[in-house]
Amino acid sequence: MSSNTLDKLPIGATATVTNVQGDPQLQQRILEMGVLPGVQVQVVRYAPLGDPIEIKVMGYSLSLRKAEAKHISVEVSS
Amino acid sequence: MTEAHRQDRHTVALMGNPNTGKSSLFSALTGTRQKIANFPGVTVEAKIGTTRFENSEITVIDLPGTYSLAARSPDERVATDALLGRIEGTPKPDGVIIVLDASSLDRNTYIATQVLEFGLPAVIALTMMDVAESRGISVDAKKLSEALGVPVVPINAPRGTGIADLKETLHRTLHHPGKVLELDYPEDFKRGVDTLHQELCDLGVKLGFKPVRPEALRLLVDGAGPFFDECEEVGGAEFTGKFFEIRERTAAGHSLSMVEAQTRYGAIGKWMQDVKQAEAREGRTKTDVVDGVLTHKFWGSLVFLFMMGLIFQSIYSWSGPLMDVIDGAFGALGDWVGGMMAEGALKSLVVDGVIAGVGGVLIFLPQILILFLFIAILEDLGYMARAAFLMDKIMSRFGLSGRSFIPLLSGFACAIPAIMGTRVIEDRNTRLTTIFLAPFMSCSARLPVYVLFIAAFVPKQEYFGFLELQGIVLFAMYFVGVFAAIPTALVLKKGILKSKVTPFLLELPSYKMPRPKAVGRVLYERGGSFVKRAGTIILAVTILVWAAGYFPQSDEIDAKYDAQLATLAEDSEEARSEIENARAGAHLENSYLGRVGHAIEPAVEPLGWDWRIGMAAIASFPAREVIVATLGTIFNLGGDQDEESATLREVVQNAERPNGSKLFNLATALSIMVFFALCAQCAATLAVMRRETNSWKWPIASFLYMTTLAYIGALVTFQVASALGG
Repeated sequence: MSSNTLDKLPIGATATVTNVQGDPQLQQRILEMGVLPGVQVQVVRYAPLGDPIEIKVMGYSLSLRKAEAKHISVEVSS
Repeated sequence: MTEAHRQDRHTVALMGNPNTGKSSLFSALTGTRQKIANFPGVTVEAKIGTTRFENSEITVIDLPGTYSLAARSPDERVATDALLGRIEGTPKPDGVIIVLDASSLDRNTYIATQVLEFGLPAVIALTMMDVAESRGISVDAKKLSEALGVPVVPINAPRGTGIADLKETLHRTLHHPGKVLELDYPEDFKRGVDTLHQELCDLGVKLGFKPVRPEALRLLVDGAGPFFDECEEVGGAEFTGKFFEIRERTAAGHSLSMVEAQTRYGAIGKWMQDVKQAEAREGRTKTDVVDGVLTHKFWGSLVFLFMMGLIFQSIYSWSGPLMDVIDGAFGALGDWVGGMMAEGALKSLVVDGVIAGVGGVLIFLPQILILFLFIAILEDLGYMARAAFLMDKIMSRFGLSGRSFIPLLSGFACAIPAIMGTRVIEDRNTRLTTIFLAPFMSCSARLPVYVLFIAAFVPKQEYFGFLELQGIVLFAMYFVGVFAAIPTALVLKKGILKSKVTPFLLELPSYKMPRPKAVGRVLYERGGSFVKRAGTIILAVTILVWAAGYFPQSDEIDAKYDAQLATLAEDSEEARSEIENARAGAHLENSYLGRVGHAIEPAVEPLGWDWRIGMAAIASFPAREVIVATLGTIFNLGGDQDEESATLREVVQNAERPNGSKLFNLATALSIMVFFALCAQCAATLAVMRRETNSWKWPIASFLYMTTLAYIGALVTFQVASALGG
């Protein structure tokens, strides 16, 4: 188990969200899309140019920029 | 009258996330009986249609798909306003259909929990059951219904199953009062909402409506936004003081967004344990496999480049023959009608004004339809979101989003479909910036201008055996627009259109086979809305310019040329048409347009132009490609010139100023081309801009900005090129 932010995870990594911060508007958007503490996320891939990231959350695919992902704290499982 | 025979009317709002099959359901319910409802002051619109059930007529309002009712911008506030019947001219819903995608039910249910707090009679339409099943997820509609306290009807709109059941359930539900969904918020939070609701009710008289409790919840959590602004305006510092105090007390150092999201998703998680049975499946879904290729570093980029090339080429080349057909048909119609009418103002108005004007509107239709054919197929397929995913990094450098790429690319063919294509951009400021930039992309209507002047004044020279100077200049002309667009984008996005954050949270929906019906619907809607709304403005402007170029008709000029005709030594067709062309040229010089040309001559002189070029540029404001025909008339060749005509090329090469010097040289030609590359000479673009932004502000700003830029660009080009001895 190790703490990190979502933008630092390698492809294929699975993690549990521990906190979502950032500008109130951004934070709200992230939370509404189902990325909130206790939820499991998986990094599926990075875009060909290295940004944005695609993650799987709540059974669907969500794309977000690294700058946004860095506000999402996660705990990597195994 | 018995109860059964009484005709009753209802209105329901259709709500849900994007990509849920909401518009398919709307079409299945309302068929072709639908119209667009424009909401004042916002850039989103809703569709309104009607459906029947027994003796009831039910009006359905299809609200824009959204993930949440949180409203930080007026566009996002529309859903709540429409739900509460606060939009003028749009009926107040007495019920709501919430569309939920069974294949990602957790996230879909989020907005359902928000809508159900309003307590309107509601029915859930459960879509994509087949997709869910293919992923090993089975959803129990009955248990979902028990959890949410409203009826749930599984439907498949494209196949038409469940629609009758949905209508019947809806009809039944509408005759009973709705129930407010109660969630387990922390006590402090509930108290905060209640206190704020009380404050809002006290403010109610001044607001002009009775605020409901869910609005208080939204205001408390969202903090800033259009509703807050409204309350601040009527309640002043007294209200905001209380508001911030309540908010601070309720939050007590925590994030209220977090409290809301955790309460809603907490409830959803509990319900789903009963509602959803997920069978553990090994392996990847079809979408995962396809994405492995389409978003792959190498293959994904290759497919993307190929797709973009295909779209661009098609708009460019497929539309050509169709445009020729339209052009030819309207030309023939003009000749035919003209042949039956007596010479005079009426004939000129009908032929040169109305018929040419309508033709000038319809000529854009092939490009619009071709672009939207691609966009509709790719959107329905789910590829558009991937294209945005691929391009986001590059576009974000200019403050734009990945979603801006396709509209801007299609701008190189035509700005009109490009502007209409910006609807896929969620963030309002990013969308406005993209709309503003689209006309800078060098559209196909600029090509005739480039072709004419490059062929006439740029020497044929080759470098390294394959680089042609004429080709380089043409390429440079395309680059002028992009070059001007980049700083414009940066200034806009850093300045007035600054988004505090431009969240690029984008759902990548699962791939689906495009449905011909859905694609056809998009083509029909976009084509129709362009012809109807933009058509009127373009036609009006075209007629205005026609009138300016036609009036006043001078009898003296006619007498002079009639005399010439009468004394014609040798009565040949050629000699006659020469005189007729000279007559047309003289009339144009004498017209109001010609006089304006003379009047602005001092202003265009530094660009290397004379009154004739100035006038032709002004006449080209409705549609820039008109310049070729106008130059034809002014140089007495008749109006039927096109850019390939050798005669027109020779005439512009040889045209002289009154003092005998050549009118055009390379510097003048470059200055004209740069002017046309940058200027907002397209009434259709401005009309579409007005329609898409729902305001005159943007087309006016675009017009002034681009025209100024064009003038400065042409000035600098001419002065520099002249100094270099061009």
